[in-house]
Amino acid sequence: MLNSKAQSCYQCGKCTSICPMRRVSKTSPRNSIYNSNIYGLETKDIWTCLTCGLCPQECPQQVDFLSFIKQEREGKTPLDIAHLGVFTELAELSSRLNGNTKMEKTDSKYGFFPGCVDSLSLFLHDVKTDFGEITTSSLKLLDKIGIKPRMVQMKCCGHDMLWQGKKDVFDRLKNDNTKYLKESGIDTLITSCAECYRTLSKDYDLGIKVVHISELMDKLGLKINSEVTYHDPCRLGRHMGVYDAPRRALTANGAKLKEMEHSKENALCCGVSSFMNCNEQTKALRIARMDEAAATGAKTLITTCSKCLAHFNCLKNEKDTAKKYDLDVVDLTVFLARQLEAGK
Amino acid sequence: MKGSVAVVGGGIAGIQAALDLADSGFKTYLIESRPSIGGVMSQLDKTFPTNDCAMCILSPKLVETGRHPNIELLSYSDVKSISGKAGDFKVKVVKKARYVDDAKCTGCGTCTEKCPTKVLDEYNAGMSKRKAIYIPFAQAIPRVATIDAAKCMYLTKGKCGVCKKVCGPKAVDYEQKDKEIELDVGSVILATGFKPFDPSALSQYRFDHPDVITSLQFERLLSASGPTQGHVTKQSDGKVPQKVAFIQCVGSRNPRIDRKHCSSVCCMYATKESIIAKEHDPELDITIFHIDIRAFGKNFEEFYNRAQKEYGIKYINSRPPEVIVDAKNSLSMKYEDFNSGELKTENYDLIVLSIGLDPSDSTQGIARSSGIALDDFGNIATSIANPVETSVPGIYVCGVAQGPKDIPDTVAQASAAASKAASLLSKERGTQIKERKFPEEKKLSPDPRVGVFVCHCGINIGSVVNVPNVVEYAKTLPYVAHAQEMLYACSSDSQVTIKEAIAKNNLNRVVVASCTPRTHEPLFQNTCREAGLNPYLFELANIREHCSWVHMKEKEKATAKAKGIVQMAVAKSALFQPLYKQQVSLINKALVLGGGVAGMTAALDIAENGYNVTLVEKEKELGGMLREMTELYNGKKPEEVLKGLLRKVSENKNITVLNEAKLEKVEGYLGNFKGIVNARGKEIPVDFGAAVIATGARNFEPAGLFGYGKDSNVITQAQLEKMLGKGTSANTITMIQCVGARNKEREYCGRTCCTDAVKNAIRIKKANSKASVYVLYRDMRTYGVNEKLYENARDLGVIFIKYDVERQPIVQNGSVVTVHDSMLNEDIEIASDLVVLSTPLVAGENEEINQLFKIPLDKNKFFLEAHPKLRPVDFATDGVFLCGSAQAPKLMDEAISQASAAASRACTILSREFIETEGAVSVVNEAKCIGCGTCVTMCPYNAPSLYDATVKAEEVTYTTKKSKINPAACKGCGSCAAACPAGAIIAQHFSSKEIGEAIDAFDKGVKSISIGKDMVEVTV
Repeated sequence: MLNSKAQSCYQCGKCTSICPMRRVSKTSPRNSIYNSNIYGLETKDIWTCLTCGLCPQECPQQVDFLSFIKQEREGKTPLDIAHLGVFTELAELSSRLNGNTKMEKTDSKYGFFPGCVDSLSLFLHDVKTDFGEITTSSLKLLDKIGIKPRMVQMKCCGHDMLWQGKKDVFDRLKNDNTKYLKESGIDTLITSCAECYRTLSKDYDLGIKVVHISELMDKLGLKINSEVTYHDPCRLGRHMGVYDAPRRALTANGAKLKEMEHSKENALCCGVSSFMNCNEQTKALRIARMDEAAATGAKTLITTCSKCLAHFNCLKNEKDTAKKYDLDVVDLTVFLARQLEAGK
Repeated sequence: MKGSVAVVGGGIAGIQAALDLADSGFKTYLIESRPSIGGVMSQLDKTFPTNDCAMCILSPKLVETGRHPNIELLSYSDVKSISGKAGDFKVKVVKKARYVDDAKCTGCGTCTEKCPTKVLDEYNAGMSKRKAIYIPFAQAIPRVATIDAAKCMYLTKGKCGVCKKVCGPKAVDYEQKDKEIELDVGSVILATGFKPFDPSALSQYRFDHPDVITSLQFERLLSASGPTQGHVTKQSDGKVPQKVAFIQCVGSRNPRIDRKHCSSVCCMYATKESIIAKEHDPELDITIFHIDIRAFGKNFEEFYNRAQKEYGIKYINSRPPEVIVDAKNSLSMKYEDFNSGELKTENYDLIVLSIGLDPSDSTQGIARSSGIALDDFGNIATSIANPVETSVPGIYVCGVAQGPKDIPDTVAQASAAASKAASLLSKERGTQIKERKFPEEKKLSPDPRVGVFVCHCGINIGSVVNVPNVVEYAKTLPYVAHAQEMLYACSSDSQVTIKEAIAKNNLNRVVVASCTPRTHEPLFQNTCREAGLNPYLFELANIREHCSWVHMKEKEKATAKAKGIVQMAVAKSALFQPLYKQQVSLINKALVLGGGVAGMTAALDIAENGYNVTLVEKEKELGGMLREMTELYNGKKPEEVLKGLLRKVSENKNITVLNEAKLEKVEGYLGNFKGIVNARGKEIPVDFGAAVIATGARNFEPAGLFGYGKDSNVITQAQLEKMLGKGTSANTITMIQCVGARNKEREYCGRTCCTDAVKNAIRIKKANSKASVYVLYRDMRTYGVNEKLYENARDLGVIFIKYDVERQPIVQNGSVVTVHDSMLNEDIEIASDLVVLSTPLVAGENEEINQLFKIPLDKNKFFLEAHPKLRPVDFATDGVFLCGSAQAPKLMDEAISQASAAASRACTILSREFIETEGAVSVVNEAKCIGCGTCVTMCPYNAPSLYDATVKAEEVTYTTKKSKINPAACKGCGSCAAACPAGAIIAQHFSSKEIGEAIDAFDKGVKSISIGKDMVEVTV
């Protein structure tokens, strides 16, 4: 019996009809299950899947499509990796290096992991986004609520490696990082990245508390007076079920939240797909989502995943783009920290 | 030990169980939580697959239940708990306050009309309004008003009180309180039914939108008694929809929301509703979105085919994930079209959610409070060998409370549960029922003296027909010795008035001008009998349904018509003569034909009810198909079931088994059959009062199909079943479903083949997980709770490939199976060690038996039951019953249920001391009979027969045939009287003379007749 329960699929087609990727391509989850389960055939569709988590939420037979995709991809070569594969190369390289940098010595039981914002800043010039500001903002906000965490300087969490089928790379990263965290003595790991949050919570077995920073932000006491809209990243939302915390972080601090047509469980994916497949289909997904955001009338689109942020800002900052979005796209921490600064 | 039974739940299951028990001599309490009995069936427009009007077939059962002397109806009552043990249970029942005295209420409806408070009507699935004081539907039993305490203005705010003011019989009682009572009974039957799935739990289907409705709501829209009088309109704007879509499996086959079962009925009701909708409006465009179409019952596949071919209903194999509501509030759905691979979006005007069957709250509540085990699905737990026995001895279950099923399977189980309760209490039979005592009948004086009682029925008649005027008119008619008006002729004080009038005026004929004889004739006949008059001296003149209700706006003409109707009734009644029901002795023994699991079960049930049975089996040994089986679908061993049955049969002194035997001759009628059985060449006479046909069926031999008979690797599912008793070494097994079924030669679905295939696939995988098992199917039909087997097979890695009927698989050299995978749209080759053909059961040698008993066969040569819905184990011929695969293919637990049901039905006859004939039967005037035999051919009940007679006509003497009618078999339908060329047969109580006199009387009153283009106008 497979963990994914793919063999339970009755071929009802519900998944295909709900699939966001299907809106822009011929992808069929049903078909990829059928081909794989019955005939052991690999389909292109297992690589175009965004792993957004919408179809398993709908499947009457409870097929775990995410596990299915993970199993199917393992050891196989992706169709296409975006950004010339630089982030994959970096992760591979770091997985082969010995150990991690030593963690700073303080008494704090909290650790903060900024994820890969530095390498994003380094390679994604076109996006015109200061990814590092997520880290500085996070630290300012944590300081405001009295948390002084130690900086966790471990290797990449391996999220993209896992979803790109590079299980061996992921396992090396996971082993090193697990060892690092166990030795550190922290009991709560805070992260500002939705992908790190999912990976460290579900794909690692750390035995310590893992928290997404959005879960701590409702008591900042800010008085924000503007309208915003919020995009649920797949990793924080459907993968981890965190829908309310980021919203509370906004509304408890005074912001007026305007929901998009699809939100929470039904939110549309930004199309980033673990940095694979940057093409006209995934661009179509970005446009669809940005259109929904623009339709709310809010002037700020907030998200909690640096990949979603990169993806939206890439679209927004295209030269000579046909579509202009009069909309700032910012990370939740950056938005809140700027408000905090402005209020001082 | 008590001779009484409590039946919990007044739907069709409870009604059937109660009627069977009451007819077999047990006091029966029927407990229903709603104000009226009838259950969900009362809300249905029609029933599949015959499209019979549901209410038309249910209503007579409601009436029969309501007036049965052995049934005590406890409606609007809840069971709190059941305690005690088999034979002695205490059932605590709360009689909820109706705020209306049911002994006084006549159901006239005046209160309902005047009540100012409107609430959503649950009978119309919330699509119309009813009043706070209400009678749930026109045919409700008991026909008593109930106040909705939560909505009544008087009970909630102390204001209003209108109903009390307008109530003629002073039945409204605001002070009434809930009352707890305790029943002492010997046994309990749970018939607690189901709760329709609430689709608001699946928010993506947008049940909040007015044009997304449930299948039950759609059913009400189709019904003439529904909120739109049968016109399908949209709830949003009242317009007629053009495009309608059904979504199947809403609340079924969905483990995600803990609904793992298939609800068994939705595919067929969606098909039925679509057909009816198309009949109402042929322009409708209807699509049914489904996973598998499960048309597994008798004539279901034929019905499904007709829906497509004759009605153009589209079936799409795809499950839409959501209903999309756009900015203009219009509806659309997106679905994957498997043929083209395209994602399609279609707009619909109306979307119907085919909701599943959830266990009812009472099922769960009673099971918890009384310690009765539930199964994984929340149904009352039972086993294959004992499908109606709960975990508590003496408490039985039937209908959907045991698992999803359709009406005939429910009715069969209800009779089965009755049989079990009756066997348990057989020693107490007849101890708690009361016989009515009547005074001597008065001698009929030669001159008719007719009494006429004209009813106002509150305002039902009185507000349209001028009742005093009719009374005055009646007084002028010949033979009328007394005429008076009554506010409610049916109320209990009116019965006293009628009896006094009979005595005072020395009346010898009674005419009541009120409502329908269907519900009220027995009441007034009884009143006459209590006054010393023969009940056949009574006549009902229907001036409500036939007059005031249909001519509401023409009061004067209605009054004139009422006079005409009364005049006819008086003229007819003057000719009435007393008629007597004859008591014919009967043989309290049964004959069971066929010694398979069904036959043995039927024989045992009858024997345990205390009657002698002769069990006739054509083979050397009992057991039938059970001997061929090596595992039951719950994993149990069939030998154990077989051994148990054989032991019980051999130990039971009431059963005589005749092996290698065949029934050769039979004559007689209900209660008195005489047969000759040839057992091993010896002719043995067998007398019996009732017979059960349980002759089974046989496996279809697929000679020449897929290389069967040529290649030893190609076997049938039945052969695999046998083989798996020892196991198989084959590594790749390919099963082909629907071999010899669902095709041109044999249109029906084999019903059991999918479950059998899945069961055997599981066995192979469990024995050898490395074996590859492929099931090539068209629709997987593992209905009901057997869906879990299908699920289990998939979990174990059995591979299911769908093929299309137009592109049959091909088997080469008995090993290479080529199938066109309709999901992949490609040909696939499977190198197989074993190819297994799943073939249906086909009818056995039923033609001989059908000749012997004069019982009909269907087009597939299976026996044809009296009615596909409500009489699944009866024949039109009284005293002969049917069970098991002789009726149609079925699973073992279903065959066992049917067998017990047939036994129960037989016991309703065997338990009688005598057979009481109809009073109004047909009789032959011998002198006129020419012996032509027309009546014999015409009679549906086998009542007339010919005998040899010698006629002496002065100088000529000859021998001829003469007809005689057996009053025990005659139902008084009059077919023979109408057909007899010599006019020798008289249908008593409806003789040509009586009817002629009535017509003449009407003629006399007619002033003019004018014939227009569309109508004939008669002035009286």
